[in-house]
Amino acid sequence: MSDFTTTIGLEVHCQLLTQAKMFCRCSTDYIGKEPNTLVCPVCLGLPGSLPVLNQKVVELALRAALALHCQILPQTLFHRKNYFYPDLPKGYQISQYNLPIGIDGFLEFYSQGVRKKARIRRIHIEEDAGKLVHEGAFLPPGTSGVDCNRCGIPLVEIVTEPDLSSPEEARDCLMMLRNIVCYLEVSDGNMEEGSLRCDANISLSSSSLTGVKVEVKNMNSFRSVYRALSYEVERQRKLLEEGKPVFQETRHWDEIKGVTVSARGKEEAEDYRYFPDPDLLPFSLKTEMIEEIKSGLLELPLEKEERFMTQYELSQGEAEILVQDREIADFFEDTLRNFNKPRMVCNWIVTEVFRNLKELGTTISRAKITPSHLAELLKMVDRKEISGTMAKSVLEEMFTSGARAREIVTRRGMALINDEKELENIVKEVIEKNPQSVADYLSGKEKALQFLIGQVMKETRGQADPELTRNILIKVLSSEE
Amino acid sequence: MKIEEFKDFTIQDYHHLLEEKKISPLELVNIFLERIEEGEDKIHAFLFVNEEKAKNEAREKTDNWPEELPPLWGLPVAIKDNICTQGMPTTCGSKMLENFVSPYDATVVERLKAAGAIILGKTNMDEFAMGSSTENSTFGPTHNPLDLRRTPGGSSGGSAASVCALEAPCALGSDTGGSVRQPAAFCGVVGLRPTYGRVPRYGVVGLASSLDQAGPITRKVEDAITILEVISGKDSRDSTCAPYPPFSRNEIPSLEDIRKIKVGVPREYFSSRVEKVIGEKIQEALGKLKGEGVELVEVSLPHTDYALEAYYIVASAEASSNLARYDGVMYGLRVEGEDLQDMYFETRTLGFGKEVKRRIILGTYSLSSGHYDEYYLKSMKVRTLVRKDFEEALKQCNLLITPTTPSFPFFLGEETQDLYERYTDDIFTIPSALAGLPSLSLNCGYEGGLPVGLQIIGGPFEEGKLLGLALWLEKLLALPSPFPELKEGRGQ
Amino acid sequence: MKEVVYLSELEKIARLSKLGFSAEELQSFLRDINDIVAHFEKLNQLDLQDVSPTSHLGGGEPPFFSDEPQAWEGSEEVLKGAPWVAGGYFIVPRIVDKEEKENEDRRI
Repeated sequence: MSDFTTTIGLEVHCQLLTQAKMFCRCSTDYIGKEPNTLVCPVCLGLPGSLPVLNQKVVELALRAALALHCQILPQTLFHRKNYFYPDLPKGYQISQYNLPIGIDGFLEFYSQGVRKKARIRRIHIEEDAGKLVHEGAFLPPGTSGVDCNRCGIPLVEIVTEPDLSSPEEARDCLMMLRNIVCYLEVSDGNMEEGSLRCDANISLSSSSLTGVKVEVKNMNSFRSVYRALSYEVERQRKLLEEGKPVFQETRHWDEIKGVTVSARGKEEAEDYRYFPDPDLLPFSLKTEMIEEIKSGLLELPLEKEERFMTQYELSQGEAEILVQDREIADFFEDTLRNFNKPRMVCNWIVTEVFRNLKELGTTISRAKITPSHLAELLKMVDRKEISGTMAKSVLEEMFTSGARAREIVTRRGMALINDEKELENIVKEVIEKNPQSVADYLSGKEKALQFLIGQVMKETRGQADPELTRNILIKVLSSEE
Repeated sequence: MKIEEFKDFTIQDYHHLLEEKKISPLELVNIFLERIEEGEDKIHAFLFVNEEKAKNEAREKTDNWPEELPPLWGLPVAIKDNICTQGMPTTCGSKMLENFVSPYDATVVERLKAAGAIILGKTNMDEFAMGSSTENSTFGPTHNPLDLRRTPGGSSGGSAASVCALEAPCALGSDTGGSVRQPAAFCGVVGLRPTYGRVPRYGVVGLASSLDQAGPITRKVEDAITILEVISGKDSRDSTCAPYPPFSRNEIPSLEDIRKIKVGVPREYFSSRVEKVIGEKIQEALGKLKGEGVELVEVSLPHTDYALEAYYIVASAEASSNLARYDGVMYGLRVEGEDLQDMYFETRTLGFGKEVKRRIILGTYSLSSGHYDEYYLKSMKVRTLVRKDFEEALKQCNLLITPTTPSFPFFLGEETQDLYERYTDDIFTIPSALAGLPSLSLNCGYEGGLPVGLQIIGGPFEEGKLLGLALWLEKLLALPSPFPELKEGRGQ
Repeated sequence: MKEVVYLSELEKIARLSKLGFSAEELQSFLRDINDIVAHFEKLNQLDLQDVSPTSHLGGGEPPFFSDEPQAWEGSEEVLKGAPWVAGGYFIVPRIVDKEEKENEDRRI
């Protein structure tokens, strides 16, 4: 069995977070809208209409290009990519060709704990096409429908060099890319809704074989990127081991069957006849504009991750989880402002806060809890006013009602029982009621002690100081012997 | 009032009549509608007469006569049928758009309306502005009102013919390679192609985006100035429109300064290609200027001979892409087919005429892989050389004077010579279009009843000088405005 | 060298342009295009090596839109005038075969 090297490159399309479309003033808020309502002569390609570029598109694309360390070309230009398709009203797509907004950048990310780097070949701006529907009661038999609401939504296409050497790396690189565009508020990065789309080129080579590039499309989640590419690695490896050729082709990922399927190349390669769009003048990206955007760039995920590791002494794993979502990272740091115990805050966020968010199906920005409220709760835990168990229950209520920790604790009459006498009485009661556990403990079963502590907690509705309870239990039990 | 009384009217004259309430917008519109009624079966300048709406609009205006009248208030205007007019057909002379009604107004139409103009109708043209005779119109040719057997020129032939026959006091055309100037020359009227970027293209259906420019076709130079004042100026909906304020007649130098203008005469425009009489008429006009003390200098535009080839490649390439939107999906003609591809082919094959197809093929070829450098890129480079020719020449003089066309209007239905020969009809209007320069055609005399067009070309955004000279020359020539009797076949 | 356009090439161009021609028309177009291409040969007399192309006229910075949406009221009118509309969608023959599918994915 020979050793193969896997080479993967990504092509990622991101819808830019603008309010208006790329070349007209139609709204970009198209999800769930009636078909063909967010349209105008420009995005419908009516005779005589002309494009005018939305300034914000340039800003957002520049932001992404700068964050990816791209070289910015001093003058840029739009080309027309000519082809016929019903979702393309003008018969051409306005895109960039030999003068994209950025070239020669790179992206750093962690994959399985190791820091990696993928070079960025180019990043360019282009307009999205409309949507085609093939199913629906309203469709006459044998037809498809065209909705132009999405026509002209701005996109950036980011193309990496083939620097990724495994499906894991490809996925991790894509995740980092998504994090970056979300961080910069360039895109909402939503793969399910199609605002972030990824295609990949993958080839396997060995010392004696040069790789053949296969393009994989239709991957709609990070998981499907990983699965599709893993499938491709295996498929190509098997072919090569059997001495069979790998064809240069486009393959579609079938999520349900878990396989890639050949898209059968056309006899005649498409000829897009790119040429400079005469309706749009070339424009220059002024140094001041580039500098302004550069200086306004927010801290990127990887920078933040590294700062969290040094500043708050978090592990790479902890820091990575926190920075996945900029809102979480901000929440973490805002909480620290009122309660400066990073490790403890981190633990609470990645366990309890995440659990509550998941159960409520919400995000931190939409949740009723605020960083200062969480800090208040954790302070109470830290001062042993309440136990961890109590705090978890309080937190749940904070998430549902939006009430503050102190208020909930007072209303529920919660206070940590740390009176030794009182606790000793309860402990004795519990010991009396549970002779079997006592016997187990005495015969050396440590687990029985946990059970007994639990019983004390139950008696006190969780209000017993856990450490004190434990100490008293051990003391009383040892006198039982 | 009678139509013949308007023979020598300028827009200002109508304006004064209206100011003095000597005529109402409704009367004015009715007079022109009658004239159209009278002339159309012979001329066929209009594809659509906006009779009802124009009357309503005129009635509305008559009932609400303002204190201060906007510059074009109550004035009927004809619009070339490739300029979008809301709620009216905009066919571009093509079967493809036979049933297309524009849901919006072109910026120039908006501006005309805002200035008080009333849209009289849409004028005939070569299909998608490809041609110079109106014979490429799906809806049949327009006849030259000065000789009904002949072409009025094109592609804005309908606009030029309507103004010549006084079916409209003025009209808008569009000029890609000469489509305003050549028909103006053939019909003995004034046609102005403004500097590229002077007038917004939004709503002017694109033939070749980097060349197209809408412009007025009028009976007097004065009217071209009035219309230009209204339609020019920056437009937030057109990236290629220059960020300048509208043209103002204040930009026109005083007669004293006009006299000091140095006029360049490019020798390449007086070759053996030009019909002898045309050359002579231009020389006569130049002689008049010289007699007034204007300095004439001979200049050279050495790449003139290459401009035609470069033009046809650039214009066809852009057109092939601009016309891709006519696919039967959202508007215009659709021929159902077995599947999508079938529908595309059926629709486009039936919807476009022969010349349009020829140029789509040529344009597609010149952009296709393996040919781009040889054709499209090379043509764009020649375009640079043509521009530089003008830059150099205009260093030695202020304005250039040339013939507008090498020949007189040909007979309709005349067996088309060599295709390439037909293209050479535009040889004198193409170079300044490639360079984006303002150019105007003015009648400088008649020969056997047929007019001779004289072209004045200026530097970019120097319409002021150009119109100043044109005004003066028009006065010096003192030619009568056309008022054809509309008899079949002159001289028969 | 003299450029010549061959029939097969013209057929490819016609397919790209979505135009159908009869055999006769093809021959006539082939003559026309070769005529034009032959005239174009003339440009080879020029030294264009160091000449930059003019793809656009007009200089200066083009205008931009600010990112403020503005609704357009004419969409219903467009749908009303369209060749075939159902459920608010423009209707086209069903897009099924693989070639179409691929074309769809090629999009963007």
